Amino acid sequence: MSQVLVAMSGGVDSSVAAAMLVESGYDVVGVTMKTFCYSETPNHGKTCCGLDGITDAKRVAAGLGIPHYVFDVEEDFTRDVIDDFVREYARGRTPNPCVRCNSNTKFRDLMKRGQALGCDRIASGHYVRIKHMERSSALLRGRDQTKDQSYFLWGLPVDLLPHLLFPVGELTKDMVRAHAQSLGLVTAEKPESQEICFVPTGNYRDLLRGRLESHPALDPGQIVRRDGQVIGEHAGYAGFTVGQRKGLGGGFTEPMFVLDILPDTREVVVGTQDELYQDTVVVEELNWLTDPPRIGTAVLVQLRYRAAPASATVKVLNDKLILALLEPQAAVTPGQSAVLFDGDRMIGGGRITEAAPLPVSVSDHLLP
Amino acid sequence: MDWLSTGNVTMDPTYLDYAATTPMRGEVRDDMNAYLSKSFGNPSSIHHWGRVAEGALEQARDDVAQALGAHSSEISFVRGGTESDNMAILGWCRAQKLEGQTPSIVVTAVEHQAVLEAAMSAEALGEALVTRIEVSVEAGIDLDTIRKSTSPGPAIVSVMWVNNETGLILPVRNVANALDGTKGILHSDAAQAIGKVPVNVCDTSVDLLSATGHKIYGPKGTGILFIRDGVTVAPLIHGGGQERGLRPGTQDVAGAVGFATAMKLAIKEQEPEAVRLKRLRNRMELALSKQLTGVRINGCEWARAPHILSIGVNGIDDGNQLLVALDLEGIAVSGGSACSSGARKSSHVIAALYGTDDPHATVRFSFGHGTTDQDVDHAVTATISVVERLRVAV
Repeated sequence: MSQVLVAMSGGVDSSVAAAMLVESGYDVVGVTMKTFCYSETPNHGKTCCGLDGITDAKRVAAGLGIPHYVFDVEEDFTRDVIDDFVREYARGRTPNPCVRCNSNTKFRDLMKRGQALGCDRIASGHYVRIKHMERSSALLRGRDQTKDQSYFLWGLPVDLLPHLLFPVGELTKDMVRAHAQSLGLVTAEKPESQEICFVPTGNYRDLLRGRLESHPALDPGQIVRRDGQVIGEHAGYAGFTVGQRKGLGGGFTEPMFVLDILPDTREVVVGTQDELYQDTVVVEELNWLTDPPRIGTAVLVQLRYRAAPASATVKVLNDKLILALLEPQAAVTPGQSAVLFDGDRMIGGGRITEAAPLPVSVSDHLLP
Repeated sequence: MDWLSTGNVTMDPTYLDYAATTPMRGEVRDDMNAYLSKSFGNPSSIHHWGRVAEGALEQARDDVAQALGAHSSEISFVRGGTESDNMAILGWCRAQKLEGQTPSIVVTAVEHQAVLEAAMSAEALGEALVTRIEVSVEAGIDLDTIRKSTSPGPAIVSVMWVNNETGLILPVRNVANALDGTKGILHSDAAQAIGKVPVNVCDTSVDLLSATGHKIYGPKGTGILFIRDGVTVAPLIHGGGQERGLRPGTQDVAGAVGFATAMKLAIKEQEPEAVRLKRLRNRMELALSKQLTGVRINGCEWARAPHILSIGVNGIDDGNQLLVALDLEGIAVSGGSACSSGARKSSHVIAALYGTDDPHATVRFSFGHGTTDQDVDHAVTATISVVERLRVAV
């Protein structure tokens, strides 16, 4: 049986993924990627030897009787994920660092290291399914609709797909926990991690302040309506995301939401719920896991993690993708991902760069 | 080693990491046994059990002193090498502070982290001035700078006897001579030296010497600090008066007994064992140099202890990967000194010797009691195949 490298975060999902691979008879090697040094503060010494995730992953691996190693990817992770995260907020967008990590850092790095170690397969604890066929591999949504994590994986390099395994993709979260309990894994009861892994304080603005020091994104600016009417002040546009209601102050006759962030003028544009709806989505940095869709094709598009897929038509596809939504969607947010599906099968995706309320300034985007 | 049964490796793994730690030898375990259960007393108690324990503890102290050429009153039992280093550096500094003086600490760039970090903590708290002495492959160690750094004094100079990452033997005796007539006192971490090279405080005038049990087939968590009569070290932790107040806390009698047995045997067997280890190391060094290109023998320009072979391999992106690959082939080795988080930091020792941008990945093979020619040959074969595979992967 072939050798599999399994990415173990120290959480219950990847613990069970590793266990299932062992049960299937694979020769399993566990690894934890050290992406970020939590204790790297002046008074804390310089080592990360006590990171909880690493300790838990090691314990689970020991319990399963498999070797476990830590791969230090801090340098690549900082460059590909954290720097991008900061840059995107500075541009008034809302980035998705997990997508960046899966696309650029995690799987690519694991494959490279895995092959050097003689492992021809890579596994993780993501709630997605992969179907390996003769000539291609299909990435499918996880069986547990409430846990499906396919949204984060559109950026996987397509040539990696044949090497990937997602053992928990067929299970529900409850089944995963039950399995972990039956095996007595130390991570069985571990709560879900919600934070961004490199923002241990839970407040990404702390990280931005630390990394940007001074930047217009952190300076006060005006809160305006679409027509330019100034209705308030904000403490820095990096604190806002499209669709956000909190932090805008009160005193409006109806609830106000962030519609747009304009870094050039540091303005945060707000409006009513009706104004949040968009028809047209422009997507860049595209990646396809199947043949790219043709112009005029009807697809399903997911515009946020946990959002229901929306029906759309492919209007333009070159280095940009322009989608016309059948029904307008609220809070289409630049920086987030637009992920395309054909039923449960992922077609590909990209980063949302623009959303427009009106049918398409398509001609603006047509390249010669 | 249960994981091996899952099939990564079909043969038994080969342990070539004796510089990280060693298995306890039978004689040590036998001598300790009585003090773990039957004679379990507290050596500070006045009754029978206490007297038996105290007798064993003091016998152990005598044995250690004799093996090192010291007086019994100069030996304090402590809980390991790191503690011993910290007590030497910080305890001595604290004693100077109590006298109203601000001491200097002089360390070589290749000292163990226990020494470097202790010195840095004293510096950060403003309790001492710290000088770091460069060590270079060509120039060696600059005795003049060391001597100058100790004035006006008081000063403590810390020079390890054998470097743990490379096996380099540092010129402790020359440093001792250079300090003659200065206000500098000399500490040496001899954790990697005992049993590998001759260590004796009679013929080498160190003032403080640290050693640990688990590198010499003794129990983990045991060690000693030798403090030459007349040198004052203040305690860092406080409590009862054990170990003359220097290291309070009920003594680990079994640990002290085990340490003493391990030390006695290590020093008694040093000469023949060094010959055997050197032959194994040379066998590996020769084979790797012959059969693998782009390999540097770290520190080969220097005198080296016989149990460590540190190599630098070029063309490999991440040294940690090399250790992982060797482990999966059943070869247990280290890089520099191990950190369980796999931090991708280059070794401060290699950086001191070869520069911070040295492009080589480091592997430390270290040999001991159980090492055979077959182990060495097996490790050579595995290393060559792993290195070639990883070079292709870059």
